[in-house]
Amino acid sequence: MLKRLLLLGVTSGVLAGIVALIYQKVYSSSVGADFSTVATPVGIMVSNIVGCMVAALGYWILSKWLKGKTEIVFNFIFVILSFASMLPVFAAKLPLTINSPELFPGLAIPMHFFPALAWSTLEPLFIKNGE
Amino acid sequence: MKKIIGSLAAALLLAVTSAFAPAQGWQITDKYTVRFTGGGEVGGIFKTLKGTILFDEQHPDGSSFELTIDVASINTGNGLMNTHAKSAEWFDAAQYPLIKFTSKKIAKTAGGYTVTGDMEIHGVKKEMTLPFSFKSSGAAGTFSGAFTINRNDFHIGKPGGDVDEKIKLDLTVPVVKK
Repeated sequence: MLKRLLLLGVTSGVLAGIVALIYQKVYSSSVGADFSTVATPVGIMVSNIVGCMVAALGYWILSKWLKGKTEIVFNFIFVILSFASMLPVFAAKLPLTINSPELFPGLAIPMHFFPALAWSTLEPLFIKNGE
Repeated sequence: MKKIIGSLAAALLLAVTSAFAPAQGWQITDKYTVRFTGGGEVGGIFKTLKGTILFDEQHPDGSSFELTIDVASINTGNGLMNTHAKSAEWFDAAQYPLIKFTSKKIAKTAGGYTVTGDMEIHGVKKEMTLPFSFKSSGAAGTFSGAFTINRNDFHIGKPGGDVDEKIKLDLTVPVVKK
């Protein structure tokens, strides 16, 4: 179970990272603001993979404790944490060389939901119902 | 006798015209920085500075500054703070889009120069004397100044709070001869 969950974590992390990089490219070219020095491609990939790996460990711990209700509780917690992670984005102080910090939340906030979306998309391939 | 009088008159005219000749004009380059700090996390830059600078190191009394800063160009590094700074409670950029400084008198001091003039921020005009230095190298030069402004004097924000009442400003303005 743990092995499959970790595999799901890595796979969904990579998927979320790729989607985030595509979104960054589209966002930067459409609004004309470049945040690549703050949100580097490596940073985006690593944070997505680490986030999903942590989620995998969380799921495994919850599954030991909650048994049949793991998925409901886990999804609830994952979404709440994704919402909560928006707050530091609004408080972030960017380097003064970046011209439009007002546009940064528009880039970063959607990205914070990509791990949960990628996880939900790939989860049926790795975890059977009721596990 | 006529020759002597003529020569004296010419010398006098030359002296008078040189004394009242306008000071050297300087063009502000785009490498300038206008930084401010107000305690803790509060700090940033103004990205747009414009102005007319006439300055002669030897005759500072004939020099003059006329500078404007675009309030909307404020950048604190945080979008919410930028919006807040431009709001009616603070700089009110919509109603008072410019910070203006117009010099009245420039004097040489032991460590550099002082400029006395009218500072207009947030619709409030106040006479201030600000220290600055000037380093020239050929056709270029750099004006530098560091001073504090009490934001309460200009009714910027409410007294107290997280932002210091005395805001420290650091300006570095590279220029080239016109």
